[in-house]
Amino acid sequence: MPYLELDVLNNAPAPIVGIDLGTTNSLVAVWRDDRPAVLKPEGKSGRIPSAVHFPTTGPPIVGQKARAHALTDPSSTILSIKRFMGRGLKDVAEDLETLPFPSSETDNGLLQFDVRGRKYSPQELSALILRHIREVASELLDGANVFRAVITVPAYFDDTQRAATRDAAKLAGLDVERIINEPTAASLAYGLDQRKDGTVAVYDLGGGTFDVSILSIEEGVFRVLATSGDTHLGGDDFDRVLIDHALERMGPEAVKAAADPAFRQGLKLSAEACKMKLSSAAKAEFQFASPDHGISWCELVTRDTFEELIAPLVNKTLDSCRRALKDAGLELDDVDEVVLVGGSTRVPLVAKRVAEFFGSKPHTELDPDEVVALGAAVQGHVLSGGTREVLLLDVTPLSLGIETMGGAMSKIIARNSPIPGQATEGFTTYADNQTGIDFNVLQGERELAADCRSLGRFKLSGIPPMPAGMARVGVRFALDANGILTVTAKEETTGQSASIDVQPMHGLTDDEVEVMLSESYEHAQADFDARRVADLRTEIGTMIRATERALGQAGEALDRETRTDIEEAVAEARRQSETGGLDEVQGARDHLEQATLPLAALLMDGVAKTALTGKKMGDV
Amino acid sequence: MRCSACGEELTTPLGCASCGVLHSVEEHPDPYELFGIERDVQVDQKALRKKLMRFSRLVHPDFFGDAEPEVRELAERNSSQLNAAFGLLSDDYRRAEYLVESLGGPTTKDVRDMPQAFLMEVMEWNETLEEARGESSHEALEDLTKLHFSLQSERSHLIKAIEGQLTPLPEHSADVLGNVRRQLNAIRYIDRALHEIEELRLERASEDKACPTSNSTS
Repeated sequence: MPYLELDVLNNAPAPIVGIDLGTTNSLVAVWRDDRPAVLKPEGKSGRIPSAVHFPTTGPPIVGQKARAHALTDPSSTILSIKRFMGRGLKDVAEDLETLPFPSSETDNGLLQFDVRGRKYSPQELSALILRHIREVASELLDGANVFRAVITVPAYFDDTQRAATRDAAKLAGLDVERIINEPTAASLAYGLDQRKDGTVAVYDLGGGTFDVSILSIEEGVFRVLATSGDTHLGGDDFDRVLIDHALERMGPEAVKAAADPAFRQGLKLSAEACKMKLSSAAKAEFQFASPDHGISWCELVTRDTFEELIAPLVNKTLDSCRRALKDAGLELDDVDEVVLVGGSTRVPLVAKRVAEFFGSKPHTELDPDEVVALGAAVQGHVLSGGTREVLLLDVTPLSLGIETMGGAMSKIIARNSPIPGQATEGFTTYADNQTGIDFNVLQGERELAADCRSLGRFKLSGIPPMPAGMARVGVRFALDANGILTVTAKEETTGQSASIDVQPMHGLTDDEVEVMLSESYEHAQADFDARRVADLRTEIGTMIRATERALGQAGEALDRETRTDIEEAVAEARRQSETGGLDEVQGARDHLEQATLPLAALLMDGVAKTALTGKKMGDV
Repeated sequence: MRCSACGEELTTPLGCASCGVLHSVEEHPDPYELFGIERDVQVDQKALRKKLMRFSRLVHPDFFGDAEPEVRELAERNSSQLNAAFGLLSDDYRRAEYLVESLGGPTTKDVRDMPQAFLMEVMEWNETLEEARGESSHEALEDLTKLHFSLQSERSHLIKAIEGQLTPLPEHSADVLGNVRRQLNAIRYIDRALHEIEELRLERASEDKACPTSNSTS
């Protein structure tokens, strides 16, 4: 039977799993039995905390166990890493202030965290989470090799954030079949559930990000009309305002103590607990104790107070809803259905304000935590050739362009343009005999280049010398179905192809990904070694115990030399198993085995003799 | 047009509905040709949407996940071209502009002179906008709404006039194209003003919300 099962697995194409890589929690789902299903252990939630903990020794820990360390060992436990994906120091200065470990930036703006003396980029940390998700999925899929995935990102993620996510997946050994937007994924899951055509607004408020997407669903085609949002607004911010409120009530001592990461982390967990209770109760206790700082505090927070605190944040999300509607060219009345996605939509004020805004009761039939992963699994099913019934037509959330003379942003692809998409814009030289042009690729809605995000710079060289304004350079922007941009440039008068080299900002170059991948293979080897050493230690322990027992029984029969050999081998094995590396431990174990051979032979002899005299082997 | 792979009639030059093969087209194809519709300034939007969905099912990269890299790339390219053509054909301004330019008519830059009366009108809009920016009174907001409404109706008059002049399609380089271009330019002014009004309204709506005592959720 096991062989038959293995055979079936080997013949089946590798499944494309759907991964919702969330700020707080991640989930993985797969298509099976004609529907998407979240993978979860028997009787447990499928939520995998997006937390990484680095213990003093041994490989990093991910998930629930890592999250448990957030309080006891905050300086080597990482939470909410998604907030830092594809960002630079300046973008996330406020978040960095509260981080319990130092951070720095490489020359091309790649953020790095210093944890236990080693630097990690957000990509590498996310890769650790993804690698863990892979293992969990593989286990729950009866050992199937999980290496193909659809990964979701907030719709409002820009190019660098998407590229960072893709690189994290690569580092985790995953083939990213598609990156899709979270609200769009949610609409897939709902659309399949409800099977109704119409215009849908998806309001997705997660742990760290907010998205709103307006879609038209028609004959199985899910066409996004417009999307808007904020990649820095979510449940974490609700916690933050609640923490600030509590600190104010606690007094100056507490405000001072908040500089301590452990203190702050404890506050965060207390705030989270209080917030969750307020979702179902009119008042809840904010309980917090820090023996280190001599602070023990408990106070009732009413839902009214909490709602007053978060009202400005909720208002911001409604601003985004207005913008998305305007961009879609629709009025409120045109929206047929509203769908709530993300754990933070459990906050009653959020659900209430959204219902008021759209004038209709939002859908909450599907678990708001699971719906994104479910939709990603649907997309995985489509991509593996499972169906042509469903098709996603998504858009790019932000405009893309080039910096022109005078520092203006010249848009080449407008926001909410469908993907895949492409556009070409002509540029020329401004000086006689100019042989190169520098390009600054931008993303954003502002008029000035300085106010937009620079995705990277490249230089087009090899333009033949000619008078100013004569060269005709075509810059082509191509957005693939993942919403990731490729820029190419060509001088057209001569048709001469010119070289370009894009240096990604806040991202990894292909070479860096390669290096990290090979490092991670080395790490994989180190992890393997560590496991092997642990196994050998156990084995040596068992061998030593057996040897000592045997010496007690039959030691007298051994000659002095053999006996000394054995005693020395035991001592050596003890020593090496405490301090040695794989090779030393393995050597000591083998030596011990060798040295004890005469003893074993003697015992076997004894066993044979006792067996012959009618005694059971177990008695020896 | 027939499929070079199976010989069946093609509904779009981008790919074959019969055998599923993708076909490569030139860099800047005629959007009308891609959608297999008559060159006409008026386009039935519902039929266009249906075609977008039908053709997307033929060429979208999602359906070529396991194909060779070159085929996958072609799917990306063909999908992009389909999307670009849809963007143009679903926009009344861009459609008319495309026809004017493909008929050898003048570009925006060629026609810079706008009637004095129109420019005066533009100055009036700008004044209303400036006033609304300066004060957030109910009255200023109402003026803005009125202006928005009148600009929208002016725009639809202009579109109708353009459609009239482009039906049937005039000959190449016909004189009427200059006039259409001028009207298109007027629409550019109107669209810019409409955009600014909408941005200002979004801003105002947001300020409204930030004030917890006001209770307007509509």
